[in-house]
Amino acid sequence: MINTVRNTVLSVLNKNNYGYLSPSDFNLFAKQAQLDIFESYFYQYNYQINKENARQSGSGIADLAKGIEESMDLFSVTRGLNQNTDVAGSYFMPSDTTTGSDYYFVNKVLAYKEIITVGTTTSFLAIGTRLTDSAQRFTTLGIVAGDIVAVETATMGVQYLTVVSVDNNTQITTTGSVLTAAAFSYTIIKAGTQQNEVEKVTHSKITMLNNSIYTAPSTTYPSYSSEESLLQVYPNIITSAGRVIAQYFRYPRDPNWTYSVVTGGEPIFNQSQPDYQDFEVPLDDENNLVMKILQYAGVSIREADVYQFANGEETKENQQEG
Amino acid sequence: MAYISQYQYYENGGAAPEDANWGSYQYVSLYDIVNNFMLMYSGNHNLVNNEERFKVLFHAKRAVQELNYDAFKEIKVLQLDITDQYRFVLPSDFVNWVRVSVYKNGLLYPLTENIQVNYAKAYLQDHQAKILFDADGNALSPEFSDIDIDRITGQKKSIYLNSGHSFDGYEGYCYNGAWYFTADVAGGWFALNTETANANPTFAIDKTMGVINFSSNIGSGSVVLEYVSDGMENGDDSKVHVNKMFEDYLYAYIEYAILQSKLNVQEYIVRRTQKRKSALLRNAKIRISNIHPGRLLMSMRGKDKWIK
Repeated sequence: MINTVRNTVLSVLNKNNYGYLSPSDFNLFAKQAQLDIFESYFYQYNYQINKENARQSGSGIADLAKGIEESMDLFSVTRGLNQNTDVAGSYFMPSDTTTGSDYYFVNKVLAYKEIITVGTTTSFLAIGTRLTDSAQRFTTLGIVAGDIVAVETATMGVQYLTVVSVDNNTQITTTGSVLTAAAFSYTIIKAGTQQNEVEKVTHSKITMLNNSIYTAPSTTYPSYSSEESLLQVYPNIITSAGRVIAQYFRYPRDPNWTYSVVTGGEPIFNQSQPDYQDFEVPLDDENNLVMKILQYAGVSIREADVYQFANGEETKENQQEG
Repeated sequence: MAYISQYQYYENGGAAPEDANWGSYQYVSLYDIVNNFMLMYSGNHNLVNNEERFKVLFHAKRAVQELNYDAFKEIKVLQLDITDQYRFVLPSDFVNWVRVSVYKNGLLYPLTENIQVNYAKAYLQDHQAKILFDADGNALSPEFSDIDIDRITGQKKSIYLNSGHSFDGYEGYCYNGAWYFTADVAGGWFALNTETANANPTFAIDKTMGVINFSSNIGSGSVVLEYVSDGMENGDDSKVHVNKMFEDYLYAYIEYAILQSKLNVQEYIVRRTQKRKSALLRNAKIRISNIHPGRLLMSMRGKDKWIK
């Protein structure tokens, strides 16, 4: 989609000799445009919900909220959170370094109600499927094939594996091949263990909530508050690797229109470049992308006509959608 | 909570204790109540929106407590031997008592609550009746007050017509030159105070101290206390449950409790939820009262009996 968008933008700009938009400028404007559209999903969704509550929206194919929700779900990610071992019950919020993507909005946090055991791997096989912990008693603990192994890796965040077989008291064979080093923190969870939603509580309430005799957080009704890049779970006995999972909306990846050679002064599009990145918003937003990039381009080249044209088109479209 | 198999129900799947699931089907758990409410009654298209789960949990627990106080017919029963101070320590989950009985010779004797106190706190006093204080300025108290000592040692007299009464066993007594009769001397009980006409031992509950104090004539009996709790199961949420007859009422109660304290909710909506809540409570109470034709029949069978 990115090449089509660029071609359309250039066509509009070139038609009236408004100027040329370099690939690097286009990529910058494309990023801004995509972010604008991405953020607008949340406002549009809320707007549509309000219209539904006012009985001004239909169902079936007239259900506009559903379409917006589908667009938002393209950015939905569910990942286990990395532990902050310095503080009991503390986990890192989703980020590029821990879960592989930064979060725009944490929709829900879940925690396994119970676990079987926790530990740290003491050795490994190159194949990466063996979980070995010389301090464990896997057979005695009743771990069976199908149980879940959450492993906090160094580079891939938390990975959820499945027990294939319990080889002996200190060794388990798992699915996947991530156990390629020792000293990985892991948690073993019984298959089918209930996950409970960890409720976000504001800082102004969390202290009182913890002191409440009726509603103090428990493993059945856990809570969390967040601060900087950390998420503090209550009760803080919820501590082990992979026990806490977040479903969040990540930011879209930065679009990158890549090219290989410049022929006749024109860069030739090449999507085989390793840093190529297409737009992630769905196809029905192509028009919005063009208009938004034109707005930015119009401002950039000081052409008020371009800006006004794009802005007017966008306003018209918004009115239709409303 | 998932449905369980017959084997799971009758024998707990072979695990101990075997009776863990007996009768469980009549109840719905607190977890299910909160989960169902959040799922069905809270959200973008519901009256309740943008409310934290802990508020729902709070109101659910409050509803369970209120139901336990008067609507549920779930009386807890505890039998304990009383201490040598003729005391019965209230159970840890005690909220209010229903009946206190003494169990003797295979029979339950319901006891009467003494209309007088039989316990008191006391302060140490000097010969001029001045209260004695410790170094921190707190009044010094003896272990027992005089009234406590008299009760424990059997010196305290009873106004009830039991073995602790001043004239127990007498057919008549002379007081200030006049004779009084308590027994059936002249063919009837004249001037009998029916409020105190009970031959059993009596008790008074010291709620602050958390004990039931019995009159000493109870001897070394075994006491059965029927009481109501608040259903909070000593803080173990997984054990908190309510009868399914009250399930819909609980949802209605939570909805009402949240809406009536929320800003900008129209009064007619608050009233609507209040009426719904009240109607469902009435329905549930009628259902739980178990008015069976069979029971009525048994009661009505006595109506033709001749009273001599």
